[in-house]
Amino acid sequence: MSVDIYWRVGTHGDQPSLRRRVVSRGEWAPVVPGSLAPGVRDGERDDYSYVEHMGDVARASEISGFVGGLLPSFPNTDDPWATAATLARETTTYRFMIAFQPGFLHPVQAARMSASLQRATGGRLVYNIISGGGGPDQLWWGDKVEHDDRYARTSEFLDVLRGVWNGGPFDFDGRFYKVEGAGLPEGLAGQPFPEIYFSGSSRAAIDAAGRHADYYLSWLEPFHALTEKFDQVRANSDRTPKFAVRIDVLARETEEEAWDEIRRGWDNIDPTVLRGATGDSIGWQRSQSFVTGAVNGYRDLEVTPNVWGGFHLLRGGPAFGLVGSYGQVAERLDELINLGVGAFILAGVPHLEEAYRVGENVLPLLRGHDLRIDSPLLEGTPS
Amino acid sequence: MARFLITLPGRADGGRGARPAFPDSVTDLRQAFGPFDHLAQVGRAAEIAGFHGALAPFDPEGDESLVVAAGLLRQSRRLRTVAGFHPGIATPVYAAKVSASLQRFSGDRLDWRLAVDLDPAVARAQGDFLEGPDRYARAEEFLTVAKGVWSEEDYTYEGRFYQVLAGGFQSPLAGRAFPRVHLSGTSKEALELSARHADVHVFDPEDDIEAASPPGVAYGLRLPVLARDDDDEAWEAARRLWTRGGRTAESLPDPDPRTRLWRGFRPSGSPGALPGASLRNGLVGSFETVAAGIRDYIDRGVGVFFLEATPYIEETYRLGERLLPLLTKEGVRVR
Repeated sequence: MSVDIYWRVGTHGDQPSLRRRVVSRGEWAPVVPGSLAPGVRDGERDDYSYVEHMGDVARASEISGFVGGLLPSFPNTDDPWATAATLARETTTYRFMIAFQPGFLHPVQAARMSASLQRATGGRLVYNIISGGGGPDQLWWGDKVEHDDRYARTSEFLDVLRGVWNGGPFDFDGRFYKVEGAGLPEGLAGQPFPEIYFSGSSRAAIDAAGRHADYYLSWLEPFHALTEKFDQVRANSDRTPKFAVRIDVLARETEEEAWDEIRRGWDNIDPTVLRGATGDSIGWQRSQSFVTGAVNGYRDLEVTPNVWGGFHLLRGGPAFGLVGSYGQVAERLDELINLGVGAFILAGVPHLEEAYRVGENVLPLLRGHDLRIDSPLLEGTPS
Repeated sequence: MARFLITLPGRADGGRGARPAFPDSVTDLRQAFGPFDHLAQVGRAAEIAGFHGALAPFDPEGDESLVVAAGLLRQSRRLRTVAGFHPGIATPVYAAKVSASLQRFSGDRLDWRLAVDLDPAVARAQGDFLEGPDRYARAEEFLTVAKGVWSEEDYTYEGRFYQVLAGGFQSPLAGRAFPRVHLSGTSKEALELSARHADVHVFDPEDDIEAASPPGVAYGLRLPVLARDDDDEAWEAARRLWTRGGRTAESLPDPDPRTRLWRGFRPSGSPGALPGASLRNGLVGSFETVAAGIRDYIDRGVGVFFLEATPYIEETYRLGERLLPLLTKEGVRVR
């Protein structure tokens, strides 16, 4: 079976490189000469919106061989539903993976939006369902449901969404949702149901993933930790989902070039950045636990070969990613495929140019399941 | 100036149906044509034909209006798009968040048409079991919170229906124009809600506009129209429209002699419209006749017209070329 490889779209602007943590694409930083979408022309701010750049990333991803892109959702990002609906007709095969939290939309509305998006795109919608990182952000959204309850709500949400999907009448009376005589109308009913990528590292998340997910999606972690996590999902569900990993990659012609790029970024880190984000997300707490010992330089964050835990210091987002030559990055991805990974969401900064680079230089090197691994990484795995 | 908007099909394909096959002797290069291809054409027609905007109605039997609006805004440069929905679709924070992105992408051309008073069965099928005045109370909170997070940082709200703690959009999501809010209804609660939150209060053609006028709000009107070169041709078209629904030509209703309104239009895209809902009032006649009817409404203070006409693409061009030019000088008195 072939592996689906997605490329992320930055929904909160982008940096021109990892060398300096300065956003110049989108107006998340002041719009000055050199800013793009919007930019400055003849001394005045132009009327290009950030969605123009997101459209470029989507087209670059499609051209470079990615099956689609993940559109993340946070308080200060552009909204993925709005973005997908805006760009629906500007690509042909590109799948829009919309990140969303079930508490914010009613499931009937989510079904209506999804079915219309399927009609607009010819069935290219994919879900990344997040049940919440918690902390102050949940209350920012106006959502007071507690962490474990959010997974119960997610289950109900998906029951209602699936219940109305192929038409009605559908009745439901749950803790969080109630509908009577519901169902998508003719024309909207019966569209292909979006594949579900399900995120979350807590026990409650893993339980819910077993019931609902097509893919259990994790941030990159050291491979032994990912293996444990996958085993936990397998052990806790009757119906094992496929596995997907979201990975930042920094790949260059040579290993030295790749690490030199990291070094340049590292040298520019603002020390206050080291005191980062918090939240009640288990995934975040896990990612903090893999780095042990003193960190005196960027290579101290390379926890296993090519697996580097400092990306969050160079741009917003998760900590772990792959750093190395094109060949090394391809080998690590192949190893993950052999650990059971069926899909990747890759990302690189800047997203537009790196989509071309990774599509042209890394993806062609993948051997997938043909690889017979004899990797030192998989030995000495704590069991 | 009075502003004219067309009403989009609730279902994106506009009921256009399948395209018949060509005989083998005819070269056929047609590719698959999706429902949103039709919608894109309607939107382009509205933009090119000089309409101020387009209404994507809340239609439980049709496509979702925010998705429709996003596509239309993307394909147009000047057209405003009004998305119709009801307050139960999302938290007000999320509805505002989606809308803030659409404002960013479109240069602030999205507006809202909030359907508060849904048919109860339609509402329950959307998962909404609130009834009576509670629906207006919730709409009030919905709009308060949506506007609150839109314009205030560190926004906190504790209401009957919604809560927010330390919310509010930051730059660059903050600072866009809030969608113009369109509301409707003639009950006391509806008019009070409009007085507090609406930019435009939308009436039906037969409503007593003068009796129910929320203060400080522009008046809008949903208006089905059927306009042709002369009155005879328009009535011939009306007869065809009437009998296409399986009715006999003898049962064709006459227009109201005083108001000129003809109650023979089939409902389309009205909030909560059900199949079999009652027929609607609208104007039939020559372009001049219909323009005169519209002028009467302008004299009564109506400034925003949501015209309804099918088939969508052809009628949008026709109205843009023939009806709107007759009304370019109108509307100085519009509130």
